Amino acid sequence: MREEARHFETELAVIGSGIAGFAASIFALNRKIDTAQVGNTGAVAYTTGYLDLLGSIEGSGVAVDNPWDGIEQLKKTHPDHPLCQVPAGDIRKGFEQFTAFLGECGIAYSAPHDSNLTALTPAGTLKKTLCVPATMAAGPKAFAAKTPCVIIDFKGLKGFSARQVVANLQDKWPSLSAERITFPAMDKGEIYPEVMARALEVPATRQELAVLLKQAAGDAKVIGLPALLGMHEPDKVRTELEQLTGLQIFEIPTMPPSVPGIRLREMFEQVFPQKGITLIPQQKVVSLDFDAGGALLTLSDNYGPITIRCKAVILATGRFLSGGLEAHITGITESLLDLPVTQPENRTDWYLDSYTDRRGHAIHKAGIEVDVSYRPLDKNGTPYNECLFAAGIILAHQDWIRGRSGAGIAIATAYKAVEAAEKFLHAAHALHK
Amino acid sequence: MSDKKIPTIIPTINFKEKAIELLPEGASFEACLTCGLCSSGCPASGIENMDPRKFIRMAMLGMDEELSTTPWVWCCTQCKRCQHVCPMSIDISQLVFLARGNWPQEEKPSGIVRSCQLIRSTDSTSAMGLPPEDFVFVVEDVLEEVRETQPAFKNLQAPMDKKGAHFFVNQNSREPMSEPDEMVPLWKIFDLVGADWTYSSKGWAAENFCMFSGDEEAWYEVIKKRVEAVNELGCKVWLNTECGHSYYTMWNALNRFGMEADFKLESLITYYAEWIREGKLPVNSKWNTKNIKFTVQDPCMIVRKAYGESIADDMRFVVKTLIGEENFIDMQPNRSANYCCGGGGGFLQAGMTDHRRTYGKRKFDQIAATGAAYVLTPCHNCHSQMEDIGHHYGGNYGVVHFWTLICLSLGILGENERTYLGPDLLALID
Repeated sequence: MREEARHFETELAVIGSGIAGFAASIFALNRKIDTAQVGNTGAVAYTTGYLDLLGSIEGSGVAVDNPWDGIEQLKKTHPDHPLCQVPAGDIRKGFEQFTAFLGECGIAYSAPHDSNLTALTPAGTLKKTLCVPATMAAGPKAFAAKTPCVIIDFKGLKGFSARQVVANLQDKWPSLSAERITFPAMDKGEIYPEVMARALEVPATRQELAVLLKQAAGDAKVIGLPALLGMHEPDKVRTELEQLTGLQIFEIPTMPPSVPGIRLREMFEQVFPQKGITLIPQQKVVSLDFDAGGALLTLSDNYGPITIRCKAVILATGRFLSGGLEAHITGITESLLDLPVTQPENRTDWYLDSYTDRRGHAIHKAGIEVDVSYRPLDKNGTPYNECLFAAGIILAHQDWIRGRSGAGIAIATAYKAVEAAEKFLHAAHALHK
Repeated sequence: MSDKKIPTIIPTINFKEKAIELLPEGASFEACLTCGLCSSGCPASGIENMDPRKFIRMAMLGMDEELSTTPWVWCCTQCKRCQHVCPMSIDISQLVFLARGNWPQEEKPSGIVRSCQLIRSTDSTSAMGLPPEDFVFVVEDVLEEVRETQPAFKNLQAPMDKKGAHFFVNQNSREPMSEPDEMVPLWKIFDLVGADWTYSSKGWAAENFCMFSGDEEAWYEVIKKRVEAVNELGCKVWLNTECGHSYYTMWNALNRFGMEADFKLESLITYYAEWIREGKLPVNSKWNTKNIKFTVQDPCMIVRKAYGESIADDMRFVVKTLIGEENFIDMQPNRSANYCCGGGGGFLQAGMTDHRRTYGKRKFDQIAATGAAYVLTPCHNCHSQMEDIGHHYGGNYGVVHFWTLICLSLGILGENERTYLGPDLLALID
């Protein structure tokens, strides 16, 4: 294996390939900042496709109908929460830019409105979310209107049961029923939404499925399907199936590995390079070193070592799953720079006794601290480096799972981190002149 | 294969131990959520009741006997897509390589074993067993015919064993063995750009099924012979023909076996792109007056497993220049995320036709979704597999080599060099 060293120069490097990392690159692109993004494939492939801002007040378990009011409420009870640090107007701009970008790139989303939507989960429970993919938009509407509807699942598909969805919703949605069909040419063994979604990119499969869907729908005019309506052109696949069946069709997220997340990841991986972003999506940054001119990222891919020199860095490496934080016997550490991590004093305090305790577990609020410019703080409480910024769920003082606020924190803080990074880059540029 | 009873004489490997040894830096089984992105994204999932997630879970559970004997290891093409989509970067293909090597020689798919034996049977390293003198004869014979029948190429060269040539060009055995005229377009391209190149009578062949048989020693021996052949001629660049695995087996082996090579490894695709950019290959898409649509197949062996995006970009640049940007439709997914076609890993040689076609359905759907009339690919195994699944599933597309389309665009494609062109393309020539 002859290794070939490659070197890139850029203004901004984004470390992390989750929603926060991708959002940061989009905002940087909109601000015409020369950007490189690196980091191994993050949890983005696990997303339901819903973009939550704030669905619940952490610790209370109470659903939030209006996330903007919810954030005001959060300021009183959780003033350190990252969402409380971002002006509502900036959060809205972040969501608008993010969803507009997705739409331009072929995955249409609803815009952020004043209140949350009540959306369906894979289990047939309900959750509050701000923006949904166009392929899912008819679901919340049908639920709100209690329209007669058939939920259809597929033989061999695990992780999505129409009967379960109907059983959990029947009190609230009496005219809901379940049907099971066999997906065209997939009558044996376990089948995956990803495979079905790709098969539906073929016109002949759509035609065959349309016949089956029509039969299964009976008298209903609206049907719900697990999220598998195409991978690359979901809106086209849904529209065409609607035309072929004469039915209104919506998707419901499935358990991971789910199609909406893979859609987003593949779209980002294709579109970013076309738009001039240097994207190295599959690899972890091994080291990050700073000097007077900025920072140097070191990593490698199959082909050999890569270095990226940049003037500013955004750290969006996520929490435990994506490797931004590491849990050890002795405590929690930040994996790349060993930044101080705000965390429970003792390991015994990480979890409450009951896993499902509504108050949530202290470990889920661990994270790094930042200043008003989203610069991570060192152990003295001063910025680690003037050119280093951070965004996403690596930030402390939030339990995004219980708050239903993962995308909200990612998008809002990425927006602010990029804004701060741009200011820094301009100031550095002016100084240089 | 599938209903064959696997005897218990296959030695058992401790897969868990090996898996932990082989983990790349930063990867972790502890963090595996068993999310199934690997299986969901693998065309071999379900074949022989196995999939990548199951394989790794069984390894963790110590089900070594089952894993040591499952024929699935011959259906996994070691394309590394599972690792590509895994947030923990777990590489199952390395375990599959170990499992393959662990099978007794007589139990391995005979087609793969035989191909490896043939490669080692002559100095050619040809999987079809074509000896050096026959290769030299075929090249001379074809060259003579071209010079006689195509006046524009009366001085065409196909140098053999030319010391000090810049490029050492390897050659798939399929052409000299079964379709010798398919060598000519590439010779014409070299002629046109003025390349200083040579074939070698030794180590010239591009196939290496020894890696796919899991036989590390044989893999090393083949590469050693090829490296010596290049060093002997003193060439600066080992230029890999339109073939995926020949590149990967060489490139990977140099590091794996710590071999000394005084030359660079390059792919023809890189040079096609470079020569077009430099104006040495003045191709254009004006000939495509009927706007015939094309897609491109990214061979795993040179894209995901080696160069990554840079060669995928070069391929698209070449294709778009050749056929017109508006006539190019990318497969989804593509580049490093592309699916293996099912022709890799020795699958085409393994005699497991039904399994191979089941695997290939994913590729067939990808191609069908583009609606393209042709697939271009710089890989012989991809080429054969996509043709086969096209016929099997009733597809309506052709598969072409880059060299064919380059010469077509330049108006220099000889009559005997048009095997892979359908009536629509032939009509544009005449």
